[in-house]
Amino acid sequence: MIPTNDYLAAAAALFVIGVIGFLMRRNPITMLMAIELMWNAGNLVFAAFARNFVDMSGQIFVFIVITVAAAEAAIALAIVVMVFRRRREVDVDDVSVLRG
Amino acid sequence: MIGLFWICTVVLIVTAIAVIGSKHPVHSVVALIVNFAALAVLFLTLNAEFLAMIQIIIYAGAILVLFLFVITLLTIGTQPIEVGPSRLSFQAVPSIVAGIAALALLAAGVRGARMAAPAAPPDFGFVGTFGLQLLTTHLFAFEVTGFVLLIAVLGVILMAARKEVRF
Amino acid sequence: MDKFLATVPFTILFLPLFGAIVIAIVGPRVHRAGAAIIGNLSIFGAFVLTATLAYTVWQMPATQQAFTVKYPPAWAAHPAFWAHIPPLTISFELRIDPLALVWMLIVTGVGFLIHLYSVGYMAESRWYRTFFAYMNIFVFTMLMLVMAGNFLWLLVGWGGVGLASYLLIGFDSNRIAAVAAARKALIMNVIGDVGIMLAIFMMYAHFGSLSYKVVFANITSASTNTLDWIGIWLLLGAVAKSAQLPLHTWLPDAMEGPTPVSALIHAATMVTAGVYLVARAHPIYDHAPAAAMAVAVVGCTSAVFAATVGMAQYDIKRVLAYSTMSQIGYMVLAVGVGAYAAGTFHFVTHAFFKALLFMAAGIIIHNLGGEQDIRKMGGLARRMPLAFWTFLVGTLAIAGIFPFAGFFSKDAILDQLLALHHPILWAFATATALLTAYYMFRLLFMTFFTGEYRGDHEPHTVTARTMVVPTVILAGLATVGGFLVLPGRDEISRALQGAYTDRGTLPAIGEINWFVSGVTTLAALAGIGGAYWLYERAPELRARLGNVFAPVHRLLANAYYVDTLYHWIFEVPVLTFASDVAKYIDPEGVGGFSAGLARATSGVGEAMRGWETGYLRRYGLTMVIGMVLVLAYYLFVVHAGTSIGMR
Repeated sequence: MIPTNDYLAAAAALFVIGVIGFLMRRNPITMLMAIELMWNAGNLVFAAFARNFVDMSGQIFVFIVITVAAAEAAIALAIVVMVFRRRREVDVDDVSVLRG
Repeated sequence: MIGLFWICTVVLIVTAIAVIGSKHPVHSVVALIVNFAALAVLFLTLNAEFLAMIQIIIYAGAILVLFLFVITLLTIGTQPIEVGPSRLSFQAVPSIVAGIAALALLAAGVRGARMAAPAAPPDFGFVGTFGLQLLTTHLFAFEVTGFVLLIAVLGVILMAARKEVRF
Repeated sequence: MDKFLATVPFTILFLPLFGAIVIAIVGPRVHRAGAAIIGNLSIFGAFVLTATLAYTVWQMPATQQAFTVKYPPAWAAHPAFWAHIPPLTISFELRIDPLALVWMLIVTGVGFLIHLYSVGYMAESRWYRTFFAYMNIFVFTMLMLVMAGNFLWLLVGWGGVGLASYLLIGFDSNRIAAVAAARKALIMNVIGDVGIMLAIFMMYAHFGSLSYKVVFANITSASTNTLDWIGIWLLLGAVAKSAQLPLHTWLPDAMEGPTPVSALIHAATMVTAGVYLVARAHPIYDHAPAAAMAVAVVGCTSAVFAATVGMAQYDIKRVLAYSTMSQIGYMVLAVGVGAYAAGTFHFVTHAFFKALLFMAAGIIIHNLGGEQDIRKMGGLARRMPLAFWTFLVGTLAIAGIFPFAGFFSKDAILDQLLALHHPILWAFATATALLTAYYMFRLLFMTFFTGEYRGDHEPHTVTARTMVVPTVILAGLATVGGFLVLPGRDEISRALQGAYTDRGTLPAIGEINWFVSGVTTLAALAGIGGAYWLYERAPELRARLGNVFAPVHRLLANAYYVDTLYHWIFEVPVLTFASDVAKYIDPEGVGGFSAGLARATSGVGEAMRGWETGYLRRYGLTMVIGMVLVLAYYLFVVHAGTSIGMR
């Protein structure tokens, strides 16, 4: 059997890649996809531990995370569409209304 | 099994890098699909069959399609590629540094006694088991999740019905 | 009777202070005459009480004439009046004995006459009321000085008169010369204060107390070397306050103050505080011959120095200032060799005729519209007879001509000098007498004679009665004051006996020593004659001598360039340093520090602005960095040493 640690390491790598991607890309769609990567890393951890402790609760949680991630993706994309509909360039740095 | 695990992990990482590294968002979406596929296989190795299916159907099948729709919506007539240099100073390098630091810390956190999973009952991760758990032990969470989806739908409809919003 | 003796000293001391406070509070609201009335009344009241006290005391047997009065029992518990820092206890005590009484009488008596004089003299001043308040403060602090029962309160009075002097010299604060003179006086006085403080420290170290009673009773317990040093430090204070060499340069400049101030403070009373100090601390000097000799030498050299300089001055008040320095030199010389009665006697007569001279000079200056240069005077004898006759009396007194007061007191000192075997000092003192007569009569001739009036202003000839009366009174005192001491009727020695019981009988100073008196009178007449010849009879001779001795004349006119020397040694470095600090260090250092603080604060603000950018990715980075820190904390601190965490 594969030790749980390996799954955790893979999830960690996936998560960090998602973080770096979020911070370094300026296209809002790409940033959202990086966020998806981070979701998935978390899911992997839950699933790994569910298997480790032989507890279905971990998998249930993964299910709920997927659902919520879907909802979040929907709303986030709606916002992105609203904000960037009339622009020529799609750069998240243009939206700095919270400045100051 | 181990080989499968390692292949999937490699694919996982590579496609993840492809996701964040591609210039064109559609390329990122394609890479993400492959990423989800690899993840689903990993779920399968973890006796989470239902989850693997859910992953493909919902994540890859619905959410990424949504992404593609939005990309199409936004990119009619324009190039959704980032143009020009970044306006933010001190963003790139600190990000990478922070990321690597996080990776190092996490890696330090996960090494330790090797945890081997004990033997699992044969119906672990089956749909039936899953459904039973979902609708009995975790009923409340299930219902609330429904509400979350409802609210998300409402929010999106409200936003779409708005007139022009200037930012 | 005892109650009287116990309370009257305090009343005398605080009456002038009370007057000053009343003037300060009520004065501005009433007509300015009110301030004058309050000022004069308070001093006059003090004088009357002092006279009564003196009369009472001198009725008592000599051995009982000295006593210490501590705070009245009602105030006994009040901590403001005494200091108790274990093991030191200093109480507020006043010592009343004939020495103090003589000084008190002069301070209040002559002080009152000068107050009266000021009513007329200061009439044009805008700050008329303030003047009287300051004068009252001076009288209070001077009384504190002479009435103190221990060295600490003496020092308090000492500093107080320095303050009053500063306030009064710089009274016309619109003139830079006055303000600078006041500052100079204060700085030099403070140097003297340091001397007294060092003496006080040594006294405390050796005797454990600062009270006169304790110190003087145990005087023999200290080594001669210690007493020598105490005496030297006290001498430093006396030198500064009494304007002796080398701390004398403030006195001529102090003439920038109004004439009443010069009369009271810088002639009659404050500058004699050094003499008082030595006379009061006589047990110390009796047992420290080296220190006493130092005192005598300082006095003698100051007397000669000042007399030579006075010959070449052209400002009336400056001549009088140098003559004050010279006469105080006499007094210091006297107490230095142990002739306390003679020194005190000369103090009394000097108060009379010096105040008189200043008052008469003040009348002249006032009537000439502020002119003080004697080259611009002349021929005033006929125009201002009152001023002339009173000034003449004063000049005769200071020159030591029989029967005026100065004759007796000066001869008493010279006689004592020979009697106590100091022939060299006696020779110098006699030479000084010659010079004194010369320059004082030079002053008289140039002011009142030498042909016609050379000035620019038309002199007024009407003088206020409040100015005339005190001047005339002092003229009378200067005439008859000498008769306090006559052969066989030595009032002064008798009077002071009560203070010097430990020395046995004071040498009688009433006996006329014909040799001494004769020599002195000859010297005085020679001086007068010389002045008369050079200024009245043979001005060509004077002009020729002037050309021949021009460099000497310049040296004297500039007071041996002592002032210039001090300027280059002390003022220039300090002022350069101060201006450098102001120009460079202050803006850069202190200002730089404040500016740097401001810059640091705004820099921090600027830096923190970077967090409120509004950029999404920036927020994300901040979050990630926080996450990293939390992770590190979790790993290294919370779970340190376990299998999950790090070592």
